[in-house]
This record gives sequence, structure tokens and C-alpha cells, in this order.
Amino acid sequence: MIETTRFGSGAAVRRVEDPALVRGEGRFTDDRVLPGQTWLAFVRSDRAHARIAAIDTAAARAMPGVLAVFTGADLVAAGVKPIAVAVPFQRPGGEPFSVPPKRALAHEVVRYVGEAVVAVVADSRAAAKAAAGAVWVEYDELPAVGDLFAATAPGAPAVWPEVADNLCAEAQHGDAAATEAAFARAAHRVQLELVNQRLAPVTMEPRAVLAWTEGERLVFQLSSQMPTAVRGGVAATIPGRTVDNVRVTVGDVGGGFGMKTGIYPEDIVIGFAALQLQRPVKWQAERVEDFLSAVHGRGQASRAELALDAHGKVLALRVRTLAGVGAYPSATSIVIPLLIGPWVSTSIYDIPLVHLRLTAVMTNNVPTGAYRGAGRPEAIYIIERLMDAAAREMGLDGAELRRRNMIRPGQFPYKNAMAQTYDSGAFEQVLDQGLALADYAGFEQRRAASKARGLLRGRGIATFLEWTGGNALEESVKVEVSADGFIELTSATMPMGQGIATSYVQLAHDVFGVPPEKIRVLQGDTDRANGFGSAGSRSLFTGGAAVHVASKKAVDEGKQLAAGALEAAAADIEYRAGRFEVAGTDLGIGLFELAARQPGGRFVVSAGATAGGPSWPNGCHIAEVEIDPETGDVQVAAYASVNDIGRIVSPLIVQAQVEGGAIQGIGQALCEQVVYDRDSAQLLSASFMDYTLPRADTFRAFKTRFDESVPCLTNSLGAKGVGELGTIGATPAVVNAVVDALARAGQGRNAERVQMPLTAEQVWRALRGQYPPALALPG
Amino acid sequence: MTTPLSLTLNGQPVTTAAEPQTLLVHLLRETLPLTGTHMGCDTSQCGACTVLLDGRAVKSCSVLAVQAQGRSVTTVEGLAPGGAALHPIQDAFIACHGLQCGFCTSGMLMSAACLLAEHPQPSEAQIERAIEGNLCRCTGYVNIVASVQRAAATLNGGAA
Repeated sequence: MIETTRFGSGAAVRRVEDPALVRGEGRFTDDRVLPGQTWLAFVRSDRAHARIAAIDTAAARAMPGVLAVFTGADLVAAGVKPIAVAVPFQRPGGEPFSVPPKRALAHEVVRYVGEAVVAVVADSRAAAKAAAGAVWVEYDELPAVGDLFAATAPGAPAVWPEVADNLCAEAQHGDAAATEAAFARAAHRVQLELVNQRLAPVTMEPRAVLAWTEGERLVFQLSSQMPTAVRGGVAATIPGRTVDNVRVTVGDVGGGFGMKTGIYPEDIVIGFAALQLQRPVKWQAERVEDFLSAVHGRGQASRAELALDAHGKVLALRVRTLAGVGAYPSATSIVIPLLIGPWVSTSIYDIPLVHLRLTAVMTNNVPTGAYRGAGRPEAIYIIERLMDAAAREMGLDGAELRRRNMIRPGQFPYKNAMAQTYDSGAFEQVLDQGLALADYAGFEQRRAASKARGLLRGRGIATFLEWTGGNALEESVKVEVSADGFIELTSATMPMGQGIATSYVQLAHDVFGVPPEKIRVLQGDTDRANGFGSAGSRSLFTGGAAVHVASKKAVDEGKQLAAGALEAAAADIEYRAGRFEVAGTDLGIGLFELAARQPGGRFVVSAGATAGGPSWPNGCHIAEVEIDPETGDVQVAAYASVNDIGRIVSPLIVQAQVEGGAIQGIGQALCEQVVYDRDSAQLLSASFMDYTLPRADTFRAFKTRFDESVPCLTNSLGAKGVGELGTIGATPAVVNAVVDALARAGQGRNAERVQMPLTAEQVWRALRGQYPPALALPG
Repeated sequence: MTTPLSLTLNGQPVTTAAEPQTLLVHLLRETLPLTGTHMGCDTSQCGACTVLLDGRAVKSCSVLAVQAQGRSVTTVEGLAPGGAALHPIQDAFIACHGLQCGFCTSGMLMSAACLLAEHPQPSEAQIERAIEGNLCRCTGYVNIVASVQRAAATLNGGAA
């Protein structure tokens, strides 16, 4: 049993990260300047698809302060290899997966606007930028496809000649024939066409990379969630580099959200330039560069169908999805829509049959990648929209239809139609708490009050779960107790604002009982620790479990050492709050004093923990919106959520994860959208003037509760991942509320034809019976 | 060609120099160098670079360094009053979990400081308006508004 104390797990503590950050003493990559540091600026393609006919760098090379100019041809000549891509999927018809080589700098052909073509290094930021402007690139333009519909239209130009139809990978899951039979015998069928629009993750700190050499070694500091992956990527692409002569360090990270996972082409260029120049080289992305060339998320279009019996029991789910994965898809681009999303496609419902067909489509856009939720938001949006459509079809309350289909407590461990095993859950219990928290029964009164003010009110619900852990379920932690009076925890998981170090300090405090300021957390250095990094809401239930295990092992080790120091049997040594004592005596020795007596003044223990499976956090999110019928403006009026994230270590942190995450989900529902021109494939939303982020007046009055009665059974902490839950629930809850308001306002089932983002214009049009055209989806 | 420049920075006189086109944010971050002021965009939208110029919140990416001649600039590093570890606004952001990654935080703090100097007891709507030009991607602004309310209470002599 873990003892909960004022600073321990379960307590609402001040974060250890904060004092430095509020004083402006953070260590973000761009804050660091090394002696002799140079600056790198990229020349990026202004064409979506073109052959590079010629590059003239003479004028740039002649400009003051310029030290070097590199083209794609220079990197190829130097032996820099493309970033390898391997996925467990084939193209439709069984042909092998094929995508264009993803090079650090474009070579011969560019395939999206913003692709890096030339790198200029100079002795100042301004000189590098000015010289980049003087590089002249001649292009022979090729026809482009600006989105997944353009890419799948008959006769569409090919992004990559080896894949004439742009379909680079396809997956089919489930039982097509049995699903078809279930639809044939169903009492009710509903079908929706749903777009899950491309989004920009938008970390407030754009990407930043600093690289330098130390003897034979190449060292990086960059803003990343996965330093070990960057190290591996550099070793795999730059000649002469191995994981041993590359070191990747990370300072403070100004937001990750999945965008800073894996290696970027730019990382390789900065490392290559530092090796060539033997001087430190820094690149700080401008905001427009992140919009143009950091991964985007989502970007799917689906036809989704649900078959139900006469009682509302779901018989089968059928989904046909196209995912626009961009010009140089990575494994992540493919796996998110083709595998991770499908894993949660049946969510918390006992749905026996699925048939899912998902196709990855190359487009002349920046590649997609992980963005908060990564596949689960798309899948949950589909099933939760379908649930509301089915309830409307049958004249049932949406909560009631969901209740009839929920997996019951007696069904765990529950294997879903995608062969994923849920260890635990109390979905109906969470639903009931959600209905109470939202005062579900009082909706009609609130609707009447809204109506009296001339506003249309709607209510939307999302009951759902998600998959967490990133399929990387093992972590180890090094615990070092030293004579200087500190316990240092070293972990390969990464901080990116989520406050993981604070949670680790709380977990170590549970075991050691020393003041939290005596516990330090070291992360972000591949010379100290390597692993998957932080993504997929995995850090607490893998790394945190390892902190707990390693701390206990360190105390056990201390007992052995104390037994020697105190000339007693180890079995007689008791540990409490920084002191070892011989039971029943006043003989004892302090933890740090004991460390001082060891060789080197310290004792070190490493230990790991492996979770037995993903964790399945879940929740019931209920939103109410008000629509101004004169303008179409949508305001979120209320948002209540009950969340099962298992055991809670840091109450303030988890609540802020759910609510901050929910605002991102509301952003997708109402305002955010990456827009490429369909024909030219030019990016039209490349600044904060064009890409609408939620602001302080968007919505804040969350009611957020947690049900801690259902611990995760597959990790020793009992914790379930929390980082993405709010984002996943908020989007369907809010869209369902808008559809509900429109349906009640006379639009009926037609209201289901709206597509995100639900801007004022679209809602205004919907109220007048004008809807987006049907999607051009294949059969 | 650089222009000599004298200003008061965080209460101390500073003599420096800047190119005519140098932005105040670059003077602060690269010349002086105080890196607590951050840059999060190229279009004066995000507000991460907000500082006080003669007590008013300005986006330092939209001010030329030479415009600070003879004026007083306060950055996040100078927010805590002489000798104190933290300004009540900084303390409130910690107490209310008003920051996650911390990148937008400096700008939020400076906008909040300007607001509270002008409106010691701001309404929620006034707080929303004051930080309308500051983007945060982590917190959803929930705890930022709560932090500003707490700071106002503290500054007005209420319980911390």
C-alpha cells in the first residue's frame, strides 16, 4: 500500500517545473547560444509539385556572413541517405508499399509547398535569412493534387510515379461477409459521410535544433519528445554516424502534442552542416515553417455505417476511409489511420462485427503524423456521430442507445472486434455520473431559457475510451542517491509541458519520504537514458511505474548497505523518511550519510517495469451549445465530463490535461482547419491569421470529475493514460451538440450533413438548408 | 550601422546599440541577452514576446529596438519586485497550475501585470480581453484566468 503524504501521489502539489519557467529561466533550445555559433535558414519550395531544373547559389554565397550553402544534390553526393520507411501494409491489390524517398533536402523533385530545398548557413540569423532569399531555384512545374479527393479523382496526377493511383497502403479489418449479412438483417441502418479535417498541432514553441561537434561526436540540443529516435535517425542517414558518436539532448520543450516525435529532415541537415563546418549550427523554425513543414494531424474522410436490431443493439460497424497522408508518408502517417484508429473503432460498445477498409492516399501536402489522439479521435468521432444518428433514426435518447450497447463489468477482460483486450472499465457507471454532473434531465429548461434569449440550444454526448501506451510498455529508471543530499531519477521519458517530472517526484517521495526538493529528475539526454520517449499518453503508467519500482529497490539496496554500516542483519533494518534504523533500537544512519560512505559517495540502482498491456482510459463528455440563428455563431455553453483514468497521482495535472485537451478538441469541432487549395496545393492557412486557434474567450467553464474506482489492472500503478482523453471526447461531444441544435431547429436528419469545423458560416447555411456536397468516396 | 541606445531595463539603466531594423525582441533575446521573452510566431499574433514598455503591455516583435530609446522596458526577468523571488502573479500561476510547457507564460504574465496595474479587480471578461492577444495551446486558458484572479486577490490584500 502506498502511503499518501502531503507531497506524495494523490496530493495536489506545486509543480517542480514551474519556478524556473515563471521567472523566464526556462532552457528552450533557442535560448542557448554556443561560442562560434552559426545560423541556418532553409529555402523552401513555393511549388507543390515540380522538377528542380536548376539551383543558383552564387549570389547567396557571395553575401556577407555566409559560410556555406547546401543543396539536395550536395547531400546526395556526400552520401546522406533518405529516412527509411517500413510499414506492415501493402497497396490495394497486394502490390508492395511504395513512397518517394524522404530526403533531408529535396533532390530533383519537390512534392509539397514548404519542402526544404536549400540550406544556407551564415554567421547571424539575419544574414542566413537574407542569403536564403538570394538563392534562385528554377522549377519545371508538374500537376499537383491538393487533397485526398483531388488525389483519388479519375486521371489524377501521381505524387510518385511508382504509385500511379496515389494509393500507397491499404488495410482491411474484420469480416466483410458477416458484416454484410448483419446489415441485410438489421432492423435499422444509418450511414454518415464524415470528414475529419487536417489540423496543425501548433506547439507554441516551433521546432528548434542546435548541433555541434565535440571531438568525433555530433551533439544535438533540440525540441523533441523522442531524442532516442532522433539519434537513431541521424545514425541511419549521415555517413560515419553511429548511435555511439551521436548524442541528443533536450532542454525545455514548448509543447509536443505528437508533433515533435521522430526525426525531421531538418534535424539531419543541421547535423550535417555542423559536421561540415565544425561549428555549432542553429535553426529556429519560424511559425510559417512549422505550418508548412511540421507534420499535420487527422486528414481523413469516411463513409460510416451502423446496423442495429429492433432494440437498438448494434449488430455491425462498417467504415470506408481515405486518409490523406501527404507526399512523404512515414510509418506513423500510415499506422495512425490504418491500425491505431481501427483498434478503438468499436469504443466501449459490445459490437461483434466490423468491416473496416482504410486506404492511405498520397497528396502534394506535408506528411501527416501524430497529433494529440492520433487515430483515436477520428475513430471515436465516427462511432459517436453514428450513435447519435442511430438514436435519431430510432427515436431514442442518445444516452439510452449508448447504454444498451455498453460492455458490462462482467465482460472484462473484454476482447473487441479488433482483438484488442480491455482490462477494465465501468462504462455505465461513468455514464450515470456524467448524466448527473451535466444535469442531463434539466436540459429542456435550459433550452427554453436559451430560446427566450433567441438562441438555439443543443446537447451532445460522447461516451468513449482510448488506447494509450504507444505499444512501448517498458521503461527503466536509474535512481542515484548521493552524498550531496539529492536523489536523482534518470528517465528516457520526456517532459513537454505535461508535468511528468512532478509526478515522478511524487512517486519517489511516496517511497523515500524525503522532502520533494531533495528529489531531482533528469530527462532528455541519450548519453544518460534511452527509450521510446513520451507519446501516446504512456509516460506515467510506464515510466512512473518504473520510478516506483526502482525507488523501492534503492531502499532495499540501502537496507543492505545500512546493515553493514550498523553491523546488524538486513532483516532488522527499517527505513522511514530518509533514515535507516535497526528495529527496536536508536541505532541508525541517514540516507544521504549512508550514500557518503559508499565508493564515490553514492549508491545507484536501476530497475524497470513493464506494463502488461495498453491502458484504456475512458469517459463521458457532455457538451451543450448555443447557436445564434442570425449569425450561425456557436458558443459552448456547458461542458461536463467524468473520466476514468484509474489511479491519480497528480490531481491538478490530470484535470488540466483533460480540460486543456478538451479545448483542442473544441478547436477541431468549431474553428481549426488546415486548408490547401485543391488544384494548386498551395497552403492557405500558414499563419495565426488564417489558422484559427481557440482563444481565452472560447470556453472555460468546465465541470470535470474523475472516477478512481476502476484502477488499470495491467500496470503496477493502476494508472491509465490521460494526455489525450479530453481532445478525443470533446470533438464529438461538441459536434453532436451542434447537430442536435440544428435538428431541433427544423433541420432533422439533414443536420447530420454538416462537416467540421462548424464555423458560423457553415452553421448559418445549415440553418437555411445549405450543406456541404456529398463526398467522392470509393465503394 | 548600429544606433546607440539607452533605456531602463528591469529598473536598471542600460546602454547598448541596435541596427535600425532590429526588433525589440531580438535586442532583448540576443544582445542583452534576456531569453525569458519568447518568440512564437512571425505575425504578431501569439503574444509570447509580450513585455512592458513604460508599463504598457506590447508585443516586442512589433516594436523596433530603437523605439525603446529613453523608455522603460520590463521583461519577465524583472517582474518580481526587487529582491523578491516571485511576483504575486508568478506565484499565482504556480499555485493555480496556470502553465504547462511554459513557453507562452512570460507573455501571459506581462499581459496580466499590465491588466492588474490598470484594473486591480478585473472581471472575467476584462481578463479575457487582456490576454486575447496571447495564445496558449496547453492550458485551454482555464487555469490562466484563475491565476490572474488569484493574483488580483493577493495584490488587493486578500489571502494568498
